[in-house]
Amino acid sequence: MNTATVRSTGARVIPAPVARAALVAALIAVWQVAPTIGLVDPRLLPPPSVVGPMIVHLFGESGFQGHLATTLLETVIAFLVSVPVGFILAILIGENKYASDIFKPLVFFVFSIPKSIFLPLFIFAFGISFHQKVAFGVFSTLFIVMMLSFAAIESVRRDHLVVARSYGATRMQTVLRVYLPGMTPVLLEAIRVSMIFNFTGILLAEMYASREGLGNVIEQWGQGFQLDRLMATIVVIAAIAIVFNETIRALESRCEHWRE
Amino acid sequence: MGLKAVVNSPSPAASTDESGAVEVTNVGHVYETASGTTEALTDISFRVETGRFVSIVGPSGCGKSSLLMMIAGLVQPTRGTIIAGGRPLVQPDPTRIGVVFQDASLYPWLTARSNVEFPLSLRHVDRKIRRERAEAALELVGLAGFADKHPHELSGGMKQRVALARGLVQDPPILLMDEPFAALDEQTRLTMGDEVLRIWERTRKTIIFVTHGLSEAIHLSDEVLVLTSRPGKLVDRVAVDLPRPRSFEVMGGRRFEELRERIWQRIRS
Ligand SMILES: Nc1ncnc2c1ncn2[C@@H]1O[C@H](COP(=O)(O)OP(=O)(O)O)[C@@H](O)[C@H]1O
Ligand SMILES: [Mg+2]
Repeated sequence: MNTATVRSTGARVIPAPVARAALVAALIAVWQVAPTIGLVDPRLLPPPSVVGPMIVHLFGESGFQGHLATTLLETVIAFLVSVPVGFILAILIGENKYASDIFKPLVFFVFSIPKSIFLPLFIFAFGISFHQKVAFGVFSTLFIVMMLSFAAIESVRRDHLVVARSYGATRMQTVLRVYLPGMTPVLLEAIRVSMIFNFTGILLAEMYASREGLGNVIEQWGQGFQLDRLMATIVVIAAIAIVFNETIRALESRCEHWRE
Repeated sequence: MGLKAVVNSPSPAASTDESGAVEVTNVGHVYETASGTTEALTDISFRVETGRFVSIVGPSGCGKSSLLMMIAGLVQPTRGTIIAGGRPLVQPDPTRIGVVFQDASLYPWLTARSNVEFPLSLRHVDRKIRRERAEAALELVGLAGFADKHPHELSGGMKQRVALARGLVQDPPILLMDEPFAALDEQTRLTMGDEVLRIWERTRKTIIFVTHGLSEAIHLSDEVLVLTSRPGKLVDRVAVDLPRPRSFEVMGGRRFEELRERIWQRIRS
């Protein structure tokens, strides 16, 4: 409230959401106009009037449906494995001082390494397969989940724990009624950021070597110069990522005051 | 020492009601940390009779919070024994002792009502009874209309009232308060002091109140315990023989100044 009033020295003629929508609309308009008037080659940049119908068309193609389903399934499985496993590992490590001293630096080391360089190893281990994609997705996500979970555990206020103890909370009650809600805001952030890592890992693995999945078709259609299909797929993937991210962000803002 | 001489004499010697009595005997506490040991308190002994209002004052770091945490059963004394409500305390017992902390320490995800109900819900008290008691406690602290607000919607003083209601909701005979109003502005602090006195007069609980405000301690208490630091030692017990209710005149009077001066001297020595 105060920062906004301090900063808005000039009159705010247009509300921010409207301005933002206008900006996006303007970009789409440029994307439409530039290839139409010949500013760029329409084969290099197919305009929205081509890409839009192509999206509809792709959703009707059973081949594309299969690719979409494969990618979503890999992503969901990798996510459902990496988030709980990373979270539980982080609790086991974070709870014990000795374990923290041993494992935390190692987690930070591994986190700092770009995960893509391990892709060939995953192919050796799992072959080019569904399992390999999921395994690589988990590997890409696990360490960021652990790092953010450490932060979530530390975000629980000590005085909240003391209060619970002074009112005789059992260990289980403390976990369920203080730790979990106390961690929720940071945990939601962890889920949101982890999904970005997870989705990236899956798509990368598909682009690198695969027979199916959205990453695979992007690679194929890029190589085959089918830019209308490529652009349509990019828009679909972007939409999926944004919708997931915004959903979690909406939940986050609902419990924003929990951090106080 | 002269300790005996200053022990509050008007307290009825006949008080054998142990339900709200607190007896601290030769208590010492040493913290062990990676960087070494800190002797926080040494050889503390005193007794608080049921229904009395006793303040603990002393410089910051002299072990006031540690002492309170030990009485609450949250920290085990390294030496000595503590008996509260007639029995030794091996772990926190919220039905005997309620605690109010410096930061209200409310759960921001719960409403005022649910925060007050929290101690009851931990013990699986029936939902209806829980609700009734929480409403009664909120009413006692003057927050009847704010039950459904979340902490971030309440002022600092109101948050402390909720914390107070949470401490009172199980009707424990003993209430411990650790600098509960230190973070509040002067005016709110005075109001809250009066509020605590009103509640004390209505419920006649034993209250042990930690503060670094000497005037506040004298204004509220039957007796002031004076600690000095490194390690924390009990150096004086000052009976506050001012009549209640303590009006503005009483608080500006000569006797008040004498008491204040005496406590101040003891803290500095
Ligand atoms: N958990 C702890 N671990 C180590 N030292 C502590 C701990 N709590 C308090 N202390 C030390 O014990 C002494 C008394 O602290 P405290 O009881 O908080 O004093 P006060 O409440 O009077 O300010 C201080 O020197 C403080 O640094
Ligand atoms: Mg303290």
